[in-house]
Amino acid sequence: QSLEDCPLDEDEDAFQALGEEDEDIDQFNDDTFGAGAVDDDWQEAHERLAELEDKAGSSREPDGPVGNDGDVLGDPEDALAERLTRLVIDSELEDPAIMQAVHTRDPPQQPGGLNSSIWDSSAVLRRIRGPLLAQEMPSVSVLDYALPQRPPQARDEERDPSERALPRRSSSPIIGSPPVRAVPIGTPPKQAAIPNFNQQILCPKPVHIRATMQQRYPAPYGERMSPNQLCNVPNSSLLGHPFPHSVSPVLTHLQRAQLLGGAQVKLLPAGRMSPSQFARVSGLVGSPLPSVNPKLLQGRVGQMMSPAGGFRAFFGAPPAPPPSQLPHPPGPGSHLQNLRSVPSLSQHPSHSLHPSLTIPALPRPQPQMFRPDTTHLHPQHRRLLHQRQQQNRNQHRSLNGSGGDRGGHRSNHQEQIRKDPYANLMLQREKDWVSKIQMMQLQSTDPYLDDYYYQNYFQKLEKLAAAEEVHGDGPKKERTKLITPQVAKLEHTYKPVQFEGSLGKLTVSSVNNPRKMIDAVVTSRSEDDETREKQVRDKRRQTLVTIEKTYSLLLDVEDYERRYLLSLEGERPALMGERKQKICDIYDNLRGKAPGQDRLSDDHFMQIMCIRKGKRLVARILPFLAPEQAADVLMATARNLPFLIKKDAQDEVLPCLLRPFSHVLYHLPLGTVTSLVQQLTNLPQSAAAPTNLHLTAVLQNKFGLSLLYLVLSRGEELQSSDTNTELMQDNQWTELMLMATRELLRIPQGALAKPVSIPSNLISLFSRYVDQQKLNLLETKL
Amino acid sequence: MNYMPGTASLIQDIDKKHLVLLRDGRTLIGYLRSIDQFANLVLHQTVERIHVGKKYGDIPRGIFVVRGENVVLLGEIDLEKESDTPLQQVSIEEILEEQRVEQQAKQASEKLKVQALKERGLSVPRADTLDEY
Repeated sequence: QSLEDCPLDEDEDAFQALGEEDEDIDQFNDDTFGAGAVDDDWQEAHERLAELEDKAGSSREPDGPVGNDGDVLGDPEDALAERLTRLVIDSELEDPAIMQAVHTRDPPQQPGGLNSSIWDSSAVLRRIRGPLLAQEMPSVSVLDYALPQRPPQARDEERDPSERALPRRSSSPIIGSPPVRAVPIGTPPKQAAIPNFNQQILCPKPVHIRATMQQRYPAPYGERMSPNQLCNVPNSSLLGHPFPHSVSPVLTHLQRAQLLGGAQVKLLPAGRMSPSQFARVSGLVGSPLPSVNPKLLQGRVGQMMSPAGGFRAFFGAPPAPPPSQLPHPPGPGSHLQNLRSVPSLSQHPSHSLHPSLTIPALPRPQPQMFRPDTTHLHPQHRRLLHQRQQQNRNQHRSLNGSGGDRGGHRSNHQEQIRKDPYANLMLQREKDWVSKIQMMQLQSTDPYLDDYYYQNYFQKLEKLAAAEEVHGDGPKKERTKLITPQVAKLEHTYKPVQFEGSLGKLTVSSVNNPRKMIDAVVTSRSEDDETREKQVRDKRRQTLVTIEKTYSLLLDVEDYERRYLLSLEGERPALMGERKQKICDIYDNLRGKAPGQDRLSDDHFMQIMCIRKGKRLVARILPFLAPEQAADVLMATARNLPFLIKKDAQDEVLPCLLRPFSHVLYHLPLGTVTSLVQQLTNLPQSAAAPTNLHLTAVLQNKFGLSLLYLVLSRGEELQSSDTNTELMQDNQWTELMLMATRELLRIPQGALAKPVSIPSNLISLFSRYVDQQKLNLLETKL
Repeated sequence: MNYMPGTASLIQDIDKKHLVLLRDGRTLIGYLRSIDQFANLVLHQTVERIHVGKKYGDIPRGIFVVRGENVVLLGEIDLEKESDTPLQQVSIEEILEEQRVEQQAKQASEKLKVQALKERGLSVPRADTLDEY
């Protein structure tokens, strides 16, 4: 007021400047308080209202059948409503339909004691008129703010539980409003929130922030549509800016239609409009994931996971429209076309239309719906429910797995409505909303990194399924795959914020720019101080570190295959090179990196093999090593087998090496095999040593024995397959065999360990070197 | 329609009868009407079932809204097998009485245990902050 009164008559610059400032301030006022705050005669409106309030207060009479305790909201509400209706009627609204709604306000009371006046209260009406008022009569809109305090109980009672309590804005302030988040926090909006992200305005219009249209219609309880149906009528206040004006006349009609109390006939055009609206709305709901790859459609279009509405509209639209849609929205017709083409893609063409289709023209009286909830289940209800469940189950059984839901669903739907009147309280839209949140949580830039086990598990499943498919031509079990949204990885380089013209730098530490708290300095201890124990411990720790480093390299190497497949042609040689290098590094780590000297000592390797993890590491590495390197490892193992066996007594992990060893063996030539046997059996021995401890240890250990058998079997294989004279000349082998068999015979059977597997060709092997009697003996031993 | 195959999502469970076990040990049985991303549940026609030994009793509770973090587990009830139980249903008063007796017995034994431990110089940490169930 003071601003308006400020005189601007003088032409002096100072005042002019002031005047401009005033205009700015006016602008700010508008932003803060709304258009009606400064310019309009809100004061007068307020006074008017106050007068009415007094009048109502004085002429208050209790509403007939309503009890005093229950109906706190009755009288003041009615009074207010009257005032409002008068106000409203006074202004431009002359739609007879609306007038009717105003007058048919007083319903008969429900028997059973439920106070239905919460539904009938014109507080509802008032709010229904909200957006209309907002758009057409700014003066009245301010009434909302100026209204006297309602009793809080009334507020609780008349609030729809799923409504979000955000204050309504009468107009859109451009600046100063919180940006709309991608995911609405808290409960799902009453109407789907369509944050229009690509709009340049910082704050979108308030239409989508708060649902101003109420879902309740003043109608007698019994004749009211069931909650399902009511909630399915989408709100027309979702209009918004993106829609071209051609649409709006129809929608205002919708608005009006919605204002009708019990006149549901007029809702039918609303019903017809709704699929497109719904879909259009949900099409925009899909837009919060702008980076969602349309590639999601690839390969699995038929089985596409397509919850009704929301996702479908988004996935179904060809890649072009989403980005281009928002700045230049296509006409409603084309959009509808877009959506109509979607059903051909998705498997459930009519599913999303379902909720809208279930809007009946007439309400259904369901007296049994309402009863006090003192028993678990009304017996009739229970029966019906049971029947429905059975039917559902039958449907489930007739179709396989997840398909059961689809087929039976539609036909069951009508029955469901009849038998479980409380079904579908959670709307499809709300379900989609929850799914959307859950899907967003699955977004990842690198699924193999974030969700390794799930990816692997599914790969395995798919391989199995593919294998089964190949073998049998049975009915293909549809396994719908979850397609997680994949977000492109963006490289962020963090630059700490700098202000211009400030002296010095900011000392702000954040998660991206942490401050150094502790200065940790590595101090190496001198050799003299250490005791023997410490040395041993350190050595072990060193080994552990080596194992870990090697493991990382190994994991990288194992991953190269996948990366190879994903990479471009040009990158592949580089990848291969990297891989080779890593394998070399692994081997060096394994055997003890000593580039200068010959690898004479197995010490390093032994250290690794003493540790459980080391053994498993070696088992995993072996497939990647070159044959010579692998043989080398094998030899080292064989050489030191007793030692390893002793160390492995507790862990018993050695058998895990058997399989990779056997793979290696297949590629070994005889010479190597011979030396292997030599190492294993520690033969020939000097005559001085009476017992072959080495061999004994080997034979008495499961791994050792199995390995020995494997090696022998390989030798036999080579011998039998290759009738080359070279073999026959190989005396070494023959001698070894003779000695080995002698030893085997000597050892009592009880001392022999139980091998993992006995190769079949051992008998034939032994038969070359021993006579029948001894052969039988050997056979019994094996 | 299969929502999010391969994941655990409650969307498929809506409008079905469930048994929900809460962190404070209560067992609720009701129709799951609504969920949200935190697995907050809305149970309809809920019944709190108290089990004591081989007997159980149902207390009708109406509508429950359960905060997700308080749910230990929940599972769908097969309506056909529901009546297939060896347990015997008794009246509410009876089951509450049984429960009271059981609680008393438990407390008595607990007391004895603590006493015995105290005599031996040991102490058991109080389980106040732990979930009871």
